[in-house]
Amino acid sequence: MNKKSSKISTSIENYSHLELANLGKIFFKEKKFIDFRSKGNRRGFEAIKDINLKIEKNTFVSIIGPSGCGKSTLLNLIAGLQAPTSGKIIIDGQAIKGPGPDRGVIFQNYALMPWLTTIQNIEFALNTVFPAKTKADVKERARKYLRMVGLEKASNKFPKELSGGMKQRVAIARALSINPNMLLMDEPFGALDALTRSYLQDELLSIWRKNKVTVVLITHSIEEALLLSDKIVLMSSGPSAIISEEISVDLERPRDREKIEQDPRYLKIKMRLEKHLLRETRAVEEVT
Amino acid sequence: MMNKAISTRLTFAVAILSLLIFIILWQVIAQQGLLVKNFPGSFKTIASLIWWVSDPFFDNGPNDLGIGTNLLISLRRVLIGYSLAVLVAIPLGVLMGMSKLAQSSLNPYVQLLKPVSPLAWLPVGLFVFRNSEITGIFVIFITSIWPTLINTAFGVASINPDYLRVSKSLGANKSITIRRVILPAIMPNILAGMRISMGTAWLVIVAAEMLLGTGIGYFIWNEWNNLSLENIFVAIIIIGFTGFILDQFFGFLQDKFDYSI
Repeated sequence: MNKKSSKISTSIENYSHLELANLGKIFFKEKKFIDFRSKGNRRGFEAIKDINLKIEKNTFVSIIGPSGCGKSTLLNLIAGLQAPTSGKIIIDGQAIKGPGPDRGVIFQNYALMPWLTTIQNIEFALNTVFPAKTKADVKERARKYLRMVGLEKASNKFPKELSGGMKQRVAIARALSINPNMLLMDEPFGALDALTRSYLQDELLSIWRKNKVTVVLITHSIEEALLLSDKIVLMSSGPSAIISEEISVDLERPRDREKIEQDPRYLKIKMRLEKHLLRETRAVEEVT
Repeated sequence: MMNKAISTRLTFAVAILSLLIFIILWQVIAQQGLLVKNFPGSFKTIASLIWWVSDPFFDNGPNDLGIGTNLLISLRRVLIGYSLAVLVAIPLGVLMGMSKLAQSSLNPYVQLLKPVSPLAWLPVGLFVFRNSEITGIFVIFITSIWPTLINTAFGVASINPDYLRVSKSLGANKSITIRRVILPAIMPNILAGMRISMGTAWLVIVAAEMLLGTGIGYFIWNEWNNLSLENIFVAIIIIGFTGFILDQFFGFLQDKFDYSI
C-alpha cells in the first residue's frame, strides 16, 4: 500500500528507492558448544564496512569488484537474507527488517526446486507471497510470466530437463511474478556460456524496459556492467571492503552490443574499470 | 556391439545356468554326505518348498501353521512397528536437523543406542508389555527408528542452502518452509533411511520371533526342534524372496524421487 502512494505523493519521491547508510557486516565464528581455543574471542571477519549508497527508482545499477570483496554479502543484506552488523538499509524511506516480496532475488545457481516443474516453481513463489489468490489466478499469472521469458512450452518440464539459460529465465520469471519493485541479481549469468549470456542480457534489458523495476546486479564482468547499467559501483578488495567509486554510464539506450564497443565514452570507462579491478585483484592475490 | 535384447537374454541364460549348477552341486554334496550326514539335498528341499507353497494358509494350531500364515504374521508385526518408527523418526529427524539444541540434546542417545542389537530390548518389552505380540512390534520399532532418523536429520542439515534462501526471500514462514521446501528436498534421504530401516527390520524379526512364538522366525525355530533342515531352507528362501521384494519397492520409490541433474 505504501508503494502505491509513493508514486503519487511527491514528498515521498524525494527518497531514493534504496539507500544504504553506514552499512557494515562482520561474520563471527559460530560458537561451538564446547570451545576451549577461542576463549570468547569475538573478533570475527569483517566483510564490508561503511557502505553508503543511493540508488534511484527504476535505475539499473551494477556492483563490481574483485572476487571475495563482499559483493554477495552486500546483496544478501539488501535482500534481507542476512542482518547487518551496523548501519541501515532504507527502502522508500523505511528501514527494512528482513526479506520481503518488494524485492525479487535471483541467484547464480538458479535455485529452482528440482521436485517442482517450471510452472510449479513460479506457483510456489506466488502461493507464498499471495496466499489469498485462487488456484486459477495463480496458474494464470505463472503462465503469463513464463510467456514473458519465452518458456510457455516448458511449463511442465522439470529443471533438470532445462539448459542453464532456460533455468535462469525461469528464475527471472519467478522473481518478477511476485511483482517486486526491485530485482536483486547475484552474478546471474556467471555460470552460462558466452552466447547464452549475451542472449539473456538482451532478454533482461527488454524485460526491464517493460516492467519498470530497480535492478541491482552483482557481476564481475566489466562488459556486462557497461552494457546494462546506468551506474556502476566499484568495490575495493576485502576484507573490510568499501565502495571505492561510483561511475555513471551516460550511454544512450537502447545500447547496441557491437556499436557501444566503439564508443570512446565506453572505452574510457572500461579502461578505468579495468585499472581498478586489476589493482584491487593484485591487492588480493599478493596478500598471502 | 552386442544387441540389447540379446544381452538381456544372455544375462538371463547365465543366471538360469548358474542356478542349475548350484542345485546339482548341492544335491551331489548332500547325497554323498560330503558335508555332514543327513544334510538335505536340493531335490528334497524343492519338493518341500512346493508342498509348503501349494497350501500356504492352513492353521492347525500355533505350532502347525502354513508358511503363508506365518509370513503374514511376521509382515504385520514389521509393518506396524516400522510405520510407527517412521512416524516418529521423520519429525524428530527434521527437528534435529533444524535445531542445534535438539541436535545436541538428542544426538548422544542416538549414538549410544544405535549400535545396540535391538534384541537386547526384547526382555525390556516383555517386562513392560507382558505380551509377546506387542513386544515384537516394539523391537521392530526400535530397530527401524535409527536409520530413518539419522538420514532425515542428515538430509535437513545438508540441504542445498539455495532452496532455503529462495524460501526466505519470499517471506515464507516456518510451516511453509518445512512442508513445501525441506520435506520434498530431503525425500531422497528419507527414502534411503526408510530402505535401510526396512532391511534391518526384516533381519531382526526372524531372530525376535524365535523367542516370541508364531511368525516366520518361530517357524524356523520350530522346524529346528523337528530337526527338519529342509523346511528351514524353505523358510530361508521365502524370507529372502520377501526381503528382496520389500527392498525393490523402496528402490522403485527412490527412483521416483531422484532429483539428481
